Amino acid sequence: MTFAERMLHIDRRIIFLVIAVCTLLPLLYPVGLAIKVSPEVRGVHDYLESLPEGSVFLLSMDFDPASKPELHPQAVALLRHAFKKNLRVIGMTLWVTGTGLADLVFSQVAQEMGKVNGKDYAFLGWSPGVGALIITMGQDLYKAFPSDYYNQPTRELAVLKGIQSLRDVNYVVSLAAGTAGIESWYVFGKDKYKFELGGGCTGVIAPGLYPLLRSGQINGLIGGLRGAAEYEALIGRKGRAVAGMDAQSATHFAIIMLVILCNVFYLFTRTSRGQSGQPRG
Amino acid sequence: MIYLRRQLPLLITFVMGVVFAGQYYVPHPRSELMLTEVTKWLQIIGGFALVLGVTSLFHLHAVKIRRREPGWGYSIVLYAGMLGTIAIGLWVNGKESVNGAMTAFGWIYSNMMVPLQGTMFAILAFFIASAAYRSFRARSREAALLLIAAIIVMMGRVPLGEMLLPVSGDLTQWILNVLNTSVRRAILIGVSLGAVALSLKIIFGIERAYLGGGRE
Repeated sequence: MTFAERMLHIDRRIIFLVIAVCTLLPLLYPVGLAIKVSPEVRGVHDYLESLPEGSVFLLSMDFDPASKPELHPQAVALLRHAFKKNLRVIGMTLWVTGTGLADLVFSQVAQEMGKVNGKDYAFLGWSPGVGALIITMGQDLYKAFPSDYYNQPTRELAVLKGIQSLRDVNYVVSLAAGTAGIESWYVFGKDKYKFELGGGCTGVIAPGLYPLLRSGQINGLIGGLRGAAEYEALIGRKGRAVAGMDAQSATHFAIIMLVILCNVFYLFTRTSRGQSGQPRG
Repeated sequence: MIYLRRQLPLLITFVMGVVFAGQYYVPHPRSELMLTEVTKWLQIIGGFALVLGVTSLFHLHAVKIRRREPGWGYSIVLYAGMLGTIAIGLWVNGKESVNGAMTAFGWIYSNMMVPLQGTMFAILAFFIASAAYRSFRARSREAALLLIAAIIVMMGRVPLGEMLLPVSGDLTQWILNVLNTSVRRAILIGVSLGAVALSLKIIFGIERAYLGGGRE
C-alpha cells in the first residue's frame, strides 16, 4: 500500500480530532473576523426597521432543540430588534418539541429588554394542525388560540387589542428547521391573508428556500449561524452567532483542506495505478 | 357493503375535493366560514393520528421486548422515557414553567431533550467531515464541478473565506441565487405538477390506493 493509499484510508478519529480542535480553539481564543451583510438578511432587518412603533410582529419559532445552535441566536437577535422598536410581538411555534425553547427565548429576551407579558408581547405556544392552524389564525386568531401558553384568555391580552386575525399582522417571520415552517406560512398564510413574510432557517435548508426569496414570496432570509451573525452585526449587538463564526470559519477551512488533500491522494493513486496497468478506482 | 367501502368514500372525496379546490377562489364570508369549520375537523383528525402513532410505536416495541429481539433493552428505555414523560407532562398540564419556576416537565425538556438533540446534531459535523474526506472525489468532470462549487460556497459562507478570497462571497451569492434557484424551481414545478395530477386522480377516483386493499 502506497503512502497516498494509506492516507486515503486514514483513521476517521483523526478527522474527528481535527474538527474538534478547529471548533474549540476559536471558541476559546476568538479572532473576531469582520462579517459582511448579505442582501437576504438585510431584507428582514430593513423591513422590521421600517415598521412604525406599535406594529404587529409575529415570530413563529418552528424548530426543536436540535437546531438551537443556529436558530436560537436568530430568535434572540430578532426579538431584541423588535422589542427595541417597541413593536407588539406575538410568539408561537408550529413544532411541539420547540415550545419550551421558544418560551425560554421569549421570557429571557423580554426580561432583558424590560418588556411585560400580555402588555408588550404574547406567547401563544403550540397548537396542532400546521396548515389548518394557520388558516384558522387567518380567519380568527382567538379561535386558533383561545388562551396563550400561560392559560390567559387571549381576548383579554392588551397586546392583542385590535388584532382579529393574521390580516392584522404587519410582519411574520418563521424561523424554521424544516417542515412545518416557512413554506407552510407562505402556502397557508401569506398567499391567502396578505401579510409580509420573512424567514430564518438552518444552513442546510437555506438553498432550498432561495426560489421563494427570488420570487418575492419571502422578503428576506436569515440562513444559518452566518445569517444570525449578520443580523447581530446589523443591530449592533454581537452575541453567540458572531462568536461562533470564527469556529465555523475554522471548520469550513478544515473540511476544504481535507477535501483537497483527499483529492490529491486520489490523483496520486490513480496515476500510479495507471502506470502499473491496474484498473482505476 | 361495496357502497360503504368503496362508493361512499369515493363520493366524499370527490365532493370535498371539488368544493375545497373551488373554495380557494371564493372570498365570500360563508365560504371562509366553511373553511374554518372544516379546518377544525382537520385538527381533530390530526389528534387521532397522534394517538394512532403512539399506539403503533408502543405495539412495535412491546413485540420487540416480548420476542427478546436484538436491542430490546432500548425498547424498555423508550417505554420508560415515554411513559415517564407523558405522566409528568399530564401532572403539570404540559407546562415547562409555571410563574417563572421550572416544572419537572421543564426539567426533562431542558436537561435531557435539549442536550440530547443538540448532541445528535453536533455529531453531524464530525461525520460530514469524515464523509467529505472519503467520498468527495473528482472522479468525473461533473464531480469536479460539484467539488469546485462546494469549495467556493464553503469559503463564501464564512468571514475567513471572504477575507482570503474576497470574490468568494459574490460567487457564492451567484451560485445560490442563479444556479441553485433555477434548478430548485424546476424541481419544485415538477413536484407541484405531479401533486396536482395526483390530486386530480384521487378526486376523480382514478387513484384508489388510499382506500386500502381487501375485497371489492
